Amino acid sequence: MSLVTHVLHVCASIVIWLLLAPLIPGVINKVKAWLAGRTGPPLFQLYFDLARQWQKSVVLSTAASPGHVAGSAVAFVSLVGASLLLPVGRAGAPIAFEGDAVLFVYLLALARFSISVAALETGSAFEGMGVAREVSFAVLAEAAVITALLVLGVQTGSVSLTKMLAPAAGAGTALLAAGLYMVLLAENCRVPFDDPNTHLELTMIHEVMVLDHSGPPLAVILHGAALKLLVFCVLLTEAVVPLGGLSPWVVVATLAGAVFLTAVGVGVVESMQARLPFRRVPMLLTTAFLLCLFALMIAWERKPQ
Amino acid sequence: MTPGWLLLAAGACIALGFFCAYRAPRLWLVATLGAAAAALAVSAWVLVAGEVWDWQLAVTPGGEGLRLRLDGVGAFFLALLAVIGGVCSLYAHGYWRDEDHPVSAPSGRVWWSTVWASMVLVLLSTNGLHFLVAWELFSIGVYFLITHERHKSEVRSAGWLFLAASRAGTLCLVVFFAGLATRTGSWELGPMRDRAELAPLFWLALFGFGLKAGMYPLHIWLPSAHANAPSHVSALLSGVSIKMGIYGLVRFSGWLPTPDAAGWVVAALGATSAVLGVAFALGQHDLKRLLAYHSVENIGIILIGLGFAMVASARGDEMWGKLALAGSLLHVWNHGLFKALLFLGAGSVLHSTGTREMSRLGGLWRAMPWTAGTFALGAVAIAGLPPLNGFVSEWLVYLGLFGAMSSPGPLSWAAAPAAILLCMTGALALACFVKACGVVFLGLPRSEVAARAHENGWLMRVPMLLLSLACVTIGLVPALVWPLLARVTSTWRPSWTESAAPDSLVALGGFQVALAAVSLLGAAVLWRCVKRNGLVRAVTWDCGYARPTARMQYTAGSFAAIITSWFAWILRPRRHVHPPMTPFPVRASFESHTPETILALVVQPGGLLVMRLAGAARRLQHGRLQAYVLYVLIGVVGLALLSVIGGAR
Repeated sequence: MSLVTHVLHVCASIVIWLLLAPLIPGVINKVKAWLAGRTGPPLFQLYFDLARQWQKSVVLSTAASPGHVAGSAVAFVSLVGASLLLPVGRAGAPIAFEGDAVLFVYLLALARFSISVAALETGSAFEGMGVAREVSFAVLAEAAVITALLVLGVQTGSVSLTKMLAPAAGAGTALLAAGLYMVLLAENCRVPFDDPNTHLELTMIHEVMVLDHSGPPLAVILHGAALKLLVFCVLLTEAVVPLGGLSPWVVVATLAGAVFLTAVGVGVVESMQARLPFRRVPMLLTTAFLLCLFALMIAWERKPQ
Repeated sequence: MTPGWLLLAAGACIALGFFCAYRAPRLWLVATLGAAAAALAVSAWVLVAGEVWDWQLAVTPGGEGLRLRLDGVGAFFLALLAVIGGVCSLYAHGYWRDEDHPVSAPSGRVWWSTVWASMVLVLLSTNGLHFLVAWELFSIGVYFLITHERHKSEVRSAGWLFLAASRAGTLCLVVFFAGLATRTGSWELGPMRDRAELAPLFWLALFGFGLKAGMYPLHIWLPSAHANAPSHVSALLSGVSIKMGIYGLVRFSGWLPTPDAAGWVVAALGATSAVLGVAFALGQHDLKRLLAYHSVENIGIILIGLGFAMVASARGDEMWGKLALAGSLLHVWNHGLFKALLFLGAGSVLHSTGTREMSRLGGLWRAMPWTAGTFALGAVAIAGLPPLNGFVSEWLVYLGLFGAMSSPGPLSWAAAPAAILLCMTGALALACFVKACGVVFLGLPRSEVAARAHENGWLMRVPMLLLSLACVTIGLVPALVWPLLARVTSTWRPSWTESAAPDSLVALGGFQVALAAVSLLGAAVLWRCVKRNGLVRAVTWDCGYARPTARMQYTAGSFAAIITSWFAWILRPRRHVHPPMTPFPVRASFESHTPETILALVVQPGGLLVMRLAGAARRLQHGRLQAYVLYVLIGVVGLALLSVIGGAR
């Protein structure tokens, strides 16, 4: 691939990821409204919100430094970087090299770091609580993600997401899918780990961290959160479905269908279930980690010696 | 100029430093920087040209031939010493000035030069006796560096603990070198991998050097020593001095045969150090103690890489073994750079506010933007996040572990937990540094001293900027250091060939550059956009409460409470709670701190037991002549019995 086509591939991927991402929260909200018998917000509500936030002026805490704004930008850029490591179709990921799976995990961590530091800029007790919860629960979530990647690594003998995600996860697929799905819910602050609709600062994780963001920085954070959700949906799909050898259109159709189903699943879980008390969140995340660990054991058992 | 002349120049500079340490601090600084430059040039020579410098004195003082040798492994650590030592000397000149410390500053300079010279000698010596002498001098010098402020009792006890611990370590090393000498018939050191009978000696080296490196559970001396030393000393101790322990392990696992289990044990100890080090760090309220525990964590990461490299070497798996060792070695450099940076930052905070207690700080970014910025950069680096250097070395270790995963046999069963623990360590370190940055530099000042903070002079800022620059450079152009790492790996294991930088490392470097550039650009664009839309300053949103105070901010202890409760089984935090009792409560307080568990629950009770036994034995000595006659009688009877029994046989 020449440099020009490579750059085009990267740019096109960025545009597509960013354009599609705000759709997922729309789908989830529609499903929740439908299950509750309401009309709900329009499917494209987040697009409208983002457009409006970009126009708004900013109210910044007197305690915050310019780093408060920079933090949301860095988080957004690192999430976009993570999305570029995920393969789509036969062309593979726009950026792929041996070891990019580790980079993927650490880019998500960089996004978490910059959002957390930006939240602490304000000196708010609530945001301190939210950050403390976010970084603590992430320890377990990250352990589950790296275990899931180890499963794929054992099966394919590679550390590059493009190669790791081409085949399915093998015999332990169901366990891996369950584990990754729980991580998806936790990392994207959905019920039962967190409630994106709550309005009580004491009980939130992600929403409380962005209490003092407004205008363009808030738009960037909301867009980034939607992108992270899409990234996890795609990761889950590709870990479960063997997309490697299929033709491009089938891949796109499968991905679209599976991501849609995942979003519907999130909406259904959110409609059926209440948020867990915080002290039980680590147990649920440990369960997710154990599911991935069992998938790893199965992968070992089946590994060609 | 050859390496020999450069080393002579470095030696001359250090000698000059000794002469002018008392009278002429500026000349001392120039001499020390000159020594650092010469040492850096020597190590660059050896690492880049790949030549081994070997020099022997014609006469043999004390019956042992004086032979100095600098190969890839030694040069790698010498480069670290030169960079960190030079930068910290510069910082010391602004931080520990003669005006403020008329007694300890000049004597500190003498001991600083002593430690410098003895560390160079440790790296150069090829004779067990000389190694021990240099090692002793180094330990004693470090003791005097730690106890700059001897009038404080906690400094004295920290120094005493260090001295006791380093005595125990040296004892093991004496036995190690003596055992080596009796088995080989000479004190000369060198590659002797074919003599399998030397393998068990490795355990002694692991104890002695592991203690110096601060490996869990031998780290007991480290937190108090690093916290109570002046900050430029903490930076040198954490950046270079504990790496001498790693040097010993790398050196002797390269030269001597190792037992089969050695690699596994080193990796297991590394994983334990990594996770527990960061867990203890989360429980700390003292900024420098927190950083000190992170040294335990990073030594753990280094040992994971080294352990797996030893396993790979025993199995003949060159491909991933090289990656694990390269990651481990690069982490030696990286940890030296960012930990020195963080300690210097903590020193600036201490210098400016007079406290290390995080709960009294806050909002320092406004008064100390340079310190806050470089500290934040150091935090990103130590949390192992892209695009900085900490990520590159951890990434290489991960590649080694993934390689071990795909090899057959029980190895993959060991590599997976190591990778998972390494990842959890990264996430915990992230939590800890979000806490440290947030509580110290962000939000509002929690006390009067924090509100009156001021930025320090250029002599203290430039060293931090230089170290930040080094962190950024290694992070953005990792392929630059690969040839040096390849040189050291092939020195460690001559059968491993030097290969060009892997394509993935080059690709990673490109990605890191793009990430850094786009992040900066994105932040700039967003800031412009914010400015264009209009920016209004308002009070922080606190649930509608319009008069939030600084005391309402989340504290370091509450921030870490979730994670420290997971590790309560080992941290054993102590709480002193006085709840508000009466209908009109007058006084209520809550206090918690995390003691050093191993010290409090293992070493101190052990020490008390020894003291009690000794006290009991002392009762035999009371000055009553009749009883002494009785002892003699019992002794004679005992001897008679012994001879009768012996004669009967």
